[in-house]
Amino acid sequence: MSLFLHYFSLPYLLVGIELTLQVTALGLIGGLILGLILAWMQLSRFPLLAAIARGYTVIFRGTPLILQMVFAYDALPHIGIKLPAIMAAGLALACNEAPFIAEMLRAGVLGVDRGQILAGQALGMTPSVLLRRIIAPQAIRTMIPAFGNESVSALKNSSLASVIAVEELTLRSTQLASSTFDFFSIFFASGLLYLLLTGAVSAIQLGFEWLLDLDRTTRERKLADYLPWRRVDLATKLELAANTAPALDVAPAELAEIPPLALRRKDRAKRAAVIARNNVAVEVKDLRKDYGAQRVLNGLDMTVRVGEVLALLGPSGSGKSTLLRCINHLEDWDSGTLRVGGRRLGFHDDGKRLTPRAVANERASVGVGMVFQQFNLFSHLTARENVAGPLRWVHGMTRIDADRRANELLERVGLSHRANALPRHLSGGQQQRVAIARALAPNPSVLLLDEPTSALDPELVNEVLEVIRRLAIDDGLTMIISTHQIRFADEVADRVAFLSQGAIIEEGAAHEVLTNPRHPLTARFLSRMEADKTPAVETVR
Amino acid sequence: MQNWLFTRARQALMAALGAIVATSLLMPMGAHAATPPGCAALQAKYPDLKGKTLVNAINPHTPGYEAIDPKDPSKYVGFDIDLGEAIGDCLGFKLTYKPVTFAALLTTLASGQADIVISDIYATKERAKAADFITYSKVFDGVLVAKGNPKGIHGIDLTMCGAAAAENTGFVEVPLVQDLGPKCKAEGKPEPTLQLYDNNANCIQAILAGRADTYVNDVNTVDQAVKANPDKLEKAIAVTIPYSVGIAVPKTKPEFRAAVMAALIEVQKAGTHMELLKKWELDVNNFKEPDILTAD
Repeated sequence: MSLFLHYFSLPYLLVGIELTLQVTALGLIGGLILGLILAWMQLSRFPLLAAIARGYTVIFRGTPLILQMVFAYDALPHIGIKLPAIMAAGLALACNEAPFIAEMLRAGVLGVDRGQILAGQALGMTPSVLLRRIIAPQAIRTMIPAFGNESVSALKNSSLASVIAVEELTLRSTQLASSTFDFFSIFFASGLLYLLLTGAVSAIQLGFEWLLDLDRTTRERKLADYLPWRRVDLATKLELAANTAPALDVAPAELAEIPPLALRRKDRAKRAAVIARNNVAVEVKDLRKDYGAQRVLNGLDMTVRVGEVLALLGPSGSGKSTLLRCINHLEDWDSGTLRVGGRRLGFHDDGKRLTPRAVANERASVGVGMVFQQFNLFSHLTARENVAGPLRWVHGMTRIDADRRANELLERVGLSHRANALPRHLSGGQQQRVAIARALAPNPSVLLLDEPTSALDPELVNEVLEVIRRLAIDDGLTMIISTHQIRFADEVADRVAFLSQGAIIEEGAAHEVLTNPRHPLTARFLSRMEADKTPAVETVR
Repeated sequence: MQNWLFTRARQALMAALGAIVATSLLMPMGAHAATPPGCAALQAKYPDLKGKTLVNAINPHTPGYEAIDPKDPSKYVGFDIDLGEAIGDCLGFKLTYKPVTFAALLTTLASGQADIVISDIYATKERAKAADFITYSKVFDGVLVAKGNPKGIHGIDLTMCGAAAAENTGFVEVPLVQDLGPKCKAEGKPEPTLQLYDNNANCIQAILAGRADTYVNDVNTVDQAVKANPDKLEKAIAVTIPYSVGIAVPKTKPEFRAAVMAALIEVQKAGTHMELLKKWELDVNNFKEPDILTAD
């Protein structure tokens, strides 16, 4: 025991720790830099870069670190690169860590919900803003445990530097054992020293997890929750949700007080006459798109005027969502033209394709807002930040202005009391209302709504429809809505267009098409929808 | 060889001249009187080495030859360390140490990460492909076994058939044990098995843990192991192996090789070599006048 304590506190071994830490730090920092480059290459649009990165990964992940160490130390000098031992060890460790770190980064990035990225793009975020504000904060959070793992493994792997004469802890221990023959006391001491080091890494990891925990800001959470023997169980989580979600949501009540806003027939005619004189907001000509062998859009033509509300109806797979995404150029198409506010979004005047960055800037300046079926709120941001953040990052607003605008809009959708809640603590209907506020914030010229109520529980549908109804009638916003809510379409839309197999087979004034469809497919679709749902078209109008 | 003789003749002359100069110079300083008299002439002849700090790659797991000092682990001590410093002292350079595994000694030298290897390494024709050697010591191997020699092993011969031998990777004993396989078979006995480790300590531990039956290595190393574990280990026998221990220098530096050789001769002439053998309690029969071993 006394021998053990003697070696445990021997300065000779403690200096070895310093070298161990140096090699580990070099390996991790170098590995992170290299890993970032590799991950970027693999995720890039250019296949050659991705292939090079793949090749690197195959080689450096597929060969033992000990060989890489010896190579960096003994082979590099033959081509004139003679690194000091510690640098050679750091280099080998960095090269070896890089593919693992790159895969962690890649998994973190790919793990971010695809819908949030679409939402960010739709809000006009450039790839770099998207990466910095949406992807990175969420990816980093999920990567911390993996990075903790990687740090511990790098720390232990640094012991292999002993083969190339770096006098780190392992090498010092073996040398000491050789000269004193106190084999076991020495290795117990150095084993405990390693344990202390890896323990410190775990503590740092837990500290970061605590710091970056989103729930920490909404509710005080004790650091003790993170200790390994105290995992937060399901009961605690339920309690957490109960504490953050108010028992009663006052918003629907508020909304319900407003009298029905449906237009009468006379008003409708007047409205139609006004709209007919307005400029064209969206113009689609002969749009075609295939997913592999399947044709999604088949020569689709469509015109929407300023202030008009168009409802897109049609069975699932008829191309409604694809059309909306094409209008915002979130998807490419094969042929045909598409103009928003007279501009060809995504192309130069000569028809050449713009870079993703330029498309993003154009989206922001043309102003096409989008609301998604799955809400796609940025899950790491509060309701207010979901609205205010894009205003700052894309439109350069100050924090004060952006917050004021966000508060205004949240109030309009009846959610000012939930401004500080995270999306996961909001109901589906509330989330969708925040998503609408977010889409409206930059004052878009056109708002696209992709089945905004399809993912909602039936009792939550109305609160969302009410918000949209008021936008159409109070604000005169140009909107294209794909929906299965026939009654809602009748109330809110000026026109409906019925899609089947990627083309519009019937369109016209909403009430007429819905009550008196001419195309047999439209008729069949409408009767089926009526059979499924509550009685649709009322006779008041 | 001719070249070498010529150098030697010239050295004798220079040494005689140098001795007069050096003694007159060094007399008043007293403390440095240990530097052999011929060295001043050598320093004049090889001025490039003077004041330099060279890197000596060692496998510091051989107490008595090279190992860290248990009292001050920041220092390396042993016969080879002292001999290297005596040579450095003679030529005017200092040494720093780079601890590597035994198998990496010569690759470290060849890659330029070290300038010289003085680490109880046996000079063989095979190894001379990687480095030139200046031999300085005869080789006596000891056979380390568990106390009482339960398997009755008496060397790398038929008594070792069926036993498990621990060896260091890259040791000359490795092929000798391997060659024993067919001979055992011819006698209808099982072949010996070979366990390869990284350093002496691990080989010795293998015997202490009952994993290996024997470890054949330099007799001094074996003696040290027995001294540290007198109730668990013993030396079965000493065997002679037809090699010499050598200082390895890069093949690309014949001038440096000549300088080291000349300095070693001076150190031996001054009696330092013999003193060091006694200081480290090594067998004085190890003493050997230097020779050069190259691949061709």
